[in-house]
Amino acid sequence: MSGRKETVLDLAKFVDKGVQVKLTGGRQVTGTLKGYDQLLNLVLDGAIEFLRDPDDPLKTTDQTRSLGLIICRGTAVMLVSPTDGTDEIANPFNQPDGA
Amino acid sequence: MLPLSLLKTAQGHPMLVELKNGETYNGHLVNCDTWMNIHLREVICTSKDGDRFWRMPECYIRGNTIKYLKVPDEVIDKVQEETTKSRSDRKPPGVGRGRGRGRDDGAGGRPSKGTGRGLDDGGSKGMGGGRGRGGANRGGNRSGGRGRG
Amino acid sequence: MSSGPGLESLVDQQISIITNDGRNIVGVLKGFDQATNIILDESHERVYSTKEGVQQLVLGLYIIRGDNISIVGELDEELDASLDLSELRAHPLKPIIH
Repeated sequence: MSGRKETVLDLAKFVDKGVQVKLTGGRQVTGTLKGYDQLLNLVLDGAIEFLRDPDDPLKTTDQTRSLGLIICRGTAVMLVSPTDGTDEIANPFNQPDGA
Repeated sequence: MLPLSLLKTAQGHPMLVELKNGETYNGHLVNCDTWMNIHLREVICTSKDGDRFWRMPECYIRGNTIKYLKVPDEVIDKVQEETTKSRSDRKPPGVGRGRGRGRDDGAGGRPSKGTGRGLDDGGSKGMGGGRGRGGANRGGNRSGGRGRG
Repeated sequence: MSSGPGLESLVDQQISIITNDGRNIVGVLKGFDQATNIILDESHERVYSTKEGVQQLVLGLYIIRGDNISIVGELDEELDASLDLSELRAHPLKPIIH
């Protein structure tokens, strides 16, 4: 085991910064990354979950609920990205293909 | 050629990743590992229906959530060199701890099926399309058009 | 053992893949691994419909994760060339359900 080098992404640079986490099953949370381990278990502070449309669980809505201090289990973590610089934008693909 | 060698070679290139949940991510591959976990930079995320878009400076995606990756065509030509290199680095065939029951007279040996790659690359390709369509169209927005119920 | 001769004999040949989400992707097999992750070059998706002929979408170079593959099939290129896809009607496949 070469320890930390195992991971593709060094989460150290996200500590104490806002991150967005998508979990298997479709939940989506943001919070301040307080800690992590090599299994990608994450500690998030001030976590907020984005609630989903009950009719279409694939879509997140603007409704949120506050979760506080949480641990995200590594095996359930699908995606991690910094909240800083993440914005919803208009369609950037001017020529949709498959036309 | 191993899928993960191709992926490794694609580092620094733009690519499209579709997740099992249908979301797609367009970005430049920074790094990947043997689990197919990937780190992308300058990412555009497209929702499953292709109707919402997000840009994010970077993201980490766990390998097992990936459905497929679309890699620029030219990357496969670059991997060639690396595989042949690493192949010759590897121990010569037949020296390893042999698999199976080594009959020594050579009768039982498998006729080592050559994979026939190398020289004849690009010989008979069916269908048009192929390389050199240019990378402009990164296939970002195709998810909407499939008309599934 | 392992995956045996398996896909090795299909390398550099046209193959047809059915994915778990019901897509049919045709392309040249360039590589694979133990997990049935597959490299497909010059790949096309064939989109089936009951209303119109088969549409072919150009996909290019793909790595398809083994998790997402239901079926890998050899493609008989002669037989395939004799098909008139524009006249072919078929129901699209449904995704598999776990």
